[in-house]
Parts: sequence; structure tokens; C-alpha cells
Amino acid sequence: MGKQTIRERIPAFASILGLLALIAAYYIVGLIRDANVAYGLKAVVNQSVVVALVATGAVFIYTLGSFDISLGAATGVSALLGAMAYNATGSLPVMFLVCIGVAVAIGFINSSLASVFNLPIFVTTVAMMSVLSAFMLILIGWNGAGDTIKVKARDVRPLDNIPFKVAVLAAYIALCWFVFTLLPTGREAKFIGGNPVCAKLSGIDEKKLAIIASLISAIGIGLGAFLTIVYAPTLNKDTASSIGMDVIIAIVFGGMPVSGGPRSRILSAVVGAFSMGFLSQIMSMLNLGSGYGQMIKAAIFLLVVFIALGSQRGKLLTR
Amino acid sequence: MEPILTVRGMDKSFGATVALRQVDLDVYPGEIRGLIGENGSGKSTLTSIIAGIQKADAGEIRFHGQPWRPASMIDALAHGIGMIVQETGTIPGISVAENLFLGESSRFRTPLGLVSRRRMELEARKALDFIHADHIQPGMPAATLDLQERKLVEVAKVMVKQPEILIVDETTTALSQKGRELLYQLMNSLKAEGKAVIFISHDLDEIKQVCDTLTVLRDGRIITHFTRENYDDDAIKTSMIGREMQGDYYRSDNEPSWQEDVLLRAEHLTGSGLDDVSLQVKAGEILGVGGLSECGMHALGKALFGSAQLTGGTVETEGKAFSDPRQATKLGVGYVSKERDTESLCQQASIRDNIAIAGLKHIQKKHLILKRRETAYVQKQVDALSIKCRHMEQPVSAMSGGNKQKVVFGKWLGAGSRVLILDCPTRGVDIGVKQSMYQLIAQMKREGKAILLISEEMAELIGMCDRLLVMKDGAVQKEFLRGQMNEADIIRYMI
Repeated sequence: MGKQTIRERIPAFASILGLLALIAAYYIVGLIRDANVAYGLKAVVNQSVVVALVATGAVFIYTLGSFDISLGAATGVSALLGAMAYNATGSLPVMFLVCIGVAVAIGFINSSLASVFNLPIFVTTVAMMSVLSAFMLILIGWNGAGDTIKVKARDVRPLDNIPFKVAVLAAYIALCWFVFTLLPTGREAKFIGGNPVCAKLSGIDEKKLAIIASLISAIGIGLGAFLTIVYAPTLNKDTASSIGMDVIIAIVFGGMPVSGGPRSRILSAVVGAFSMGFLSQIMSMLNLGSGYGQMIKAAIFLLVVFIALGSQRGKLLTR
Repeated sequence: MEPILTVRGMDKSFGATVALRQVDLDVYPGEIRGLIGENGSGKSTLTSIIAGIQKADAGEIRFHGQPWRPASMIDALAHGIGMIVQETGTIPGISVAENLFLGESSRFRTPLGLVSRRRMELEARKALDFIHADHIQPGMPAATLDLQERKLVEVAKVMVKQPEILIVDETTTALSQKGRELLYQLMNSLKAEGKAVIFISHDLDEIKQVCDTLTVLRDGRIITHFTRENYDDDAIKTSMIGREMQGDYYRSDNEPSWQEDVLLRAEHLTGSGLDDVSLQVKAGEILGVGGLSECGMHALGKALFGSAQLTGGTVETEGKAFSDPRQATKLGVGYVSKERDTESLCQQASIRDNIAIAGLKHIQKKHLILKRRETAYVQKQVDALSIKCRHMEQPVSAMSGGNKQKVVFGKWLGAGSRVLILDCPTRGVDIGVKQSMYQLIAQMKREGKAILLISEEMAELIGMCDRLLVMKDGAVQKEFLRGQMNEADIIRYMI
């Protein structure tokens, strides 16, 4: 039996090639503009790492052909409660554990409700998003310090560095890759996303997978919440509010269909998140106003998806 | 007589796979032309190009002497050539009427610009009545229809346009005898009107009965043509597969045989169209289940795998009861669904993923799935079943019907299933693949597996089974033993 030709493999790597092209473009534009490339790189990591963490976990949910609309609100609530826990105890480990614990609890509630009531995860996350958004307002009100909850910046500064953030992201990606690739979870999730009826008739337990996906995603949310506090220790009702949309864009940008299924890949989220980060920095170095920048981003986004879907497009197959 | 359709020098490739090479074909008015060949021989590719579904790489088509280059399937249908495709061609989320007039809703616009559902459904009613499918309601969502009814909707969709050439691609496998007769009637009326039909089927008896002429394709080439006067089974089979068929087609022994151990036992299954069905299948036994399409045999297959909603009854394998597919799979029960493409395969997934999915526990080493072990596991099934593919990363959607079915078999055999529930396992596969599947089923019997073979093909049941249960109205009417089965008796209990 033969092997896949290089041409057949290219679509799977299109998004990685796209990221490499953006990195190259970033350095070229930096050189031409005489910009501080190292500083810009730090900005890219700071911008991208939280989205990459949340999106990497969310890949499990998207792979199932499902959708979590409460990612941003869950990150926000985890961060707020983590900050409050730190202010109460002065302990960074406690803050870390609360961020993770709250996110896991939210994920567990989402998936349990979906299991008990036999609903798609998407439906329970819609309800959860409303509850969590309201809960954020209540938490900020309880705190009694105006519209924000603050952690002293100097307390978290030791963790606000690139090596730490990259290490956290790398460790989480390694965990997700391990579960997705080396355990049955990833393959079973892909089958559920590709054909739920066939998955059921192949003996796959959809409810168990939904719970596992929610819990793994929750760990990413918790880590994202923790790094959100570290990077921006003043939290308000809008903290992490854009993450839900950023995650969708990152996943698609990374070459994975939002409909999930067999073409889902863990690395899509990271590649997509960093591609977005580099693109923003390039726009910034070129002094393009946000209007032009958004339009160019949209064009590149379409191009990447076009290439990534190249292998599927227009394929009518012989029998 | 001038041909109504001519094809000259047609080539078509999909990547490295050559689907058609220099194909020439003439179809004449008043002719029913059969196309026959092994899975992957190019029949569907040829007809799908004629029907505007895809374009040829080279060659020319003329329809009524004029160049024929339809922009799409809808364009082709609007200009006189309609095709009923092999797999499901309806959209489940919309109504029967909307399926029938897909892309034509503007025909039913009111002065306010809205679509008149009532007018659309009235037109749909007429189209369904024309093909005598009066039991299908135009307002019903297509998702609520069974496979046969969906197929009839497709037939109505094409026939309402009164095509000059009707292409029927392996449609009859989805139809009951009544449905088939309905379709034959429509084909004959087209023939009588001087129109033409191109008919694809793997059922040699059917194709000989229905077609005036027969064209054999092999590996993308036209091999030969037969006319009704010189139909000869052996000559047709030999030209299809390029060699004389070796070995037995069905089982050669004539005595029922099995071992003592009961591997599958069902007691008093009730609900989902079943009426107090009890049965057992022993190791090394092939138990057949036959009947008319709606007799409950397909529901029985699902019930025995734990995937039907029952109101009563139990199923157990080797003394262990189970009630859902997850438990069944764990206990070594496999199920090949009649609806292969929608229930047994994940079409977008690769051959590798589809074969490995049910056997992950066999692939795991210390709980980890290592690619090398997975590759070896899949390769073993690909080799054992002679699955034709370029590589195991190929999506199954790119495979022929017979090879897809082999992938489904590979999935369960690799998983080490001791009990196999096979619902119409040879549906839509060619004669060569059929033979290899029968040999495989016989091999599984020798290995001591318990096989429940549900089939709408009487010859297959008689040829392969140790025992046969004939079902009617959800209940078992009669049991026959191998050697005592005869077609007339069986039919008496089916009807």
C-alpha cells in the first residue's frame, strides 16, 4: 500500500505554513520599519497565550461537533474568584487552584446538565453564559471596590514573564496532545463529531466523552484565567469577554473546521492563536488603522481557510 | 437509428486514480441500457458526468446530436437527463415537497414574494401520485422517511421533469420488491415513449430481466456489450472481473451445522415493530433472517445490538445481558448496518480511523495508542480483506461501495467480535466482492463465530444459512433448516 503524496499532505499543514509565513513577515516588516522586534514578540505571546490555552482545550468540545459559547464568561468568573481568593489569602497557589477549580466546576455543571437532560453541550453553555455573566456583576458588586477587582501588580509580577507563560502553555498542549493522540479520547471524539450515529453504533459513549471534553477544556479555561490575572491584575465585568469569539477565529485560522470531526487537531488552536497575534503585530508595525487592519485580517483569514479546505473542495469521487 | 446520446473518448481521473479511460458509449431511443462492472469500475463516474454532477477531463458527449455540457445536475435535468443517485440524494431537514422542488421555490412565489407552501405541496402531491407513491405526504420532513421512501422521493423528483434519459444508479437495492416493480414500470413507460434509460445494478438477474442491452466496464474501460439474445451469466461475470470466478459462490455444503455454545440469545423482544421475538445463535452458525422489507428484520438487527427502543425482552451474549451498543461492543458483538454510509462509517474519516475505532483496546499498549501498532492493526485488515486503496489515510468517502463494506467488516473482525449481526451486508456490492464476502462469512463460521445474516435476497439466505427465520409483521413465522429451504415455501410464509 502506498503513502500519502506531498500534495495530499499540504492542506493539513497549510495553517502551520501560514504561521511560518506570518513569522517571516513579522521579522521582515520589523527590519524594514526598524521596530523593536523582541518587544513585539513579547506582545504577541501576551496577546496569544490566553486565547491559545482556552482554544486548545476547546478543541475537544469542537471536535465533538459541539460548541461552547460560555468560554469567555467562564474565564472571567474563574479569574474574578481567583483574584478574590488571592486577596483573601495572599497565596498564589490558592489563586491558581481556585482558578482551575472554578473552571472545572463550571465545565462539570455544563456537561452534567447536558448528560442528564440529554441536551447538546451548546445549549447548556448558552444558559451558563447568561448565568456566569450575571455572576460576574454580582461578584464585582460584593467586592465593594467600585467596578473592578484588583490584585496588587507587584505580587503577580514575578510570574508575568514569557518563559513562565510559554511553559504553562507548552505543558497544557502536551497534556491535551497526549489525551487527544495517545488515548482513545481523541479518536472517539472525532468519530462523534464526524458521524454521531456511527459513533454510537461503534460502542462509543458520547456522554462520557462530553464530560471528558468539558473537563479538559475547563483546565485550559482555568489556566487562561490565572494568566489573565498575572498579565492584567485589574479585573472588571468585561474581563475575557472577547475570548469566546477569539477562540472560534483561532480554531478556524488554525485549519480546523468548527464543525469538528475527523479533521480536528490539537495544534490548530495554538497555530491559529499565534497567527492572529503575529498578524495584529504586523498591522501595528505597518501603522495600519484598525479599519484597514481588520479588513486585511479578514482577507488573510479567508485565504487560510480556503487553502486548508483545499483538499475537500470540489471533490466528487468515483465509485 | 440515431443514438439519443453518444459519448466519445471520455477520460476522468481523481488524483492518481484513473476512473475512466477513452470511454465510448451510444444509447438509443427506446432502449434500457444496463451498465455493469465491479465496484470502482467507473459506472457511477461515467453516468455522473452525463448527468452534470461532475466534468470529464477529456472527451465529448452529444445529446440529440448536440454537444452536451450541463452546468450542474439541475441544469442536466432541466434539459432532459435526470439521475437517481446511488446514495441518499434527499436533504433530511426539509420537507418532501421542498426536496422535490429544490432550487425552484421561485415557481411558487405569491404576489407578496413569499413561497406558497400550499401550492408547492399540491404540485408535490401530483409528482408523488405520478409514481404511485401516494403513501408519502409532501409536508413530511424528509428525515422521517425510511430509506425506500427517500429513494421514491428522488424518483419523483426526476420523473416530474419527464426526462428523455433516466439514469438509475444502484437504486433498487434500497427498494422493496413493490418499489422495484414501480420503478421498472416507470422505466418501461419511458422506453415505450421512445426515451431511454441507463440502469446500473449489481444484481445480474435483475439487470438481465430489465435491460435490453448491457455494457460491461472494468477498470474505467468499456470491455464489451451484450444484447438480450446473447446474455450469458458466465460470459458476463468473466468480462466483469477479467477472469473466471474461482471457488464456490455460496457455501458448497448442504447440511446445517453449528457448535453447542449459544453465543447470542434473545428472549421476547417486543417494541420497535417487533412482536415477541426470541432466537438464539450458536457458535459456528449462520442464522438467516428474511422477509419482506417491512417485516421487522432490520429492527431485529438493531434490537439484537441494543440500539432499538424496546418495550420488553432481553439480549445476552455468552450469558451476559446487554442493552446498548457500548455494552454489546465490549462483549464482542458487532453490527453491520443496512445503511452503511450513514450508520456504519464515518465518511470523512480515513480507512485507518474507521477500521481502528472499534478495536482501540486491542491496539492499546499500556493504555497508549501507538501509531505503529495501529498501522499494523489496520494493515492486517486491509490485507486480509483485500481492500483496494492507495493508502490508509484515504477518506472512506472516496471508496467504492464494496470496499466501504470491506472496511466495515474489517472494523468488526479486527475488534475480535465473536457475534456478528450483518444487515444486508452485500447491498450495493458487485459480484466479485459478493463472492469474497460469502467466502469471508463462511470462514467466520469455520472460526466458530455466530453470524446473524439479515437479507432481502432469497438466494443469499438459502445459499449461506444453517437456519432461516422468516419474519412477517414483526414476528417469526417459520424456521427452516439448511437443506429444507425452498424458495416457494419461504415466500409463502413471507407474504
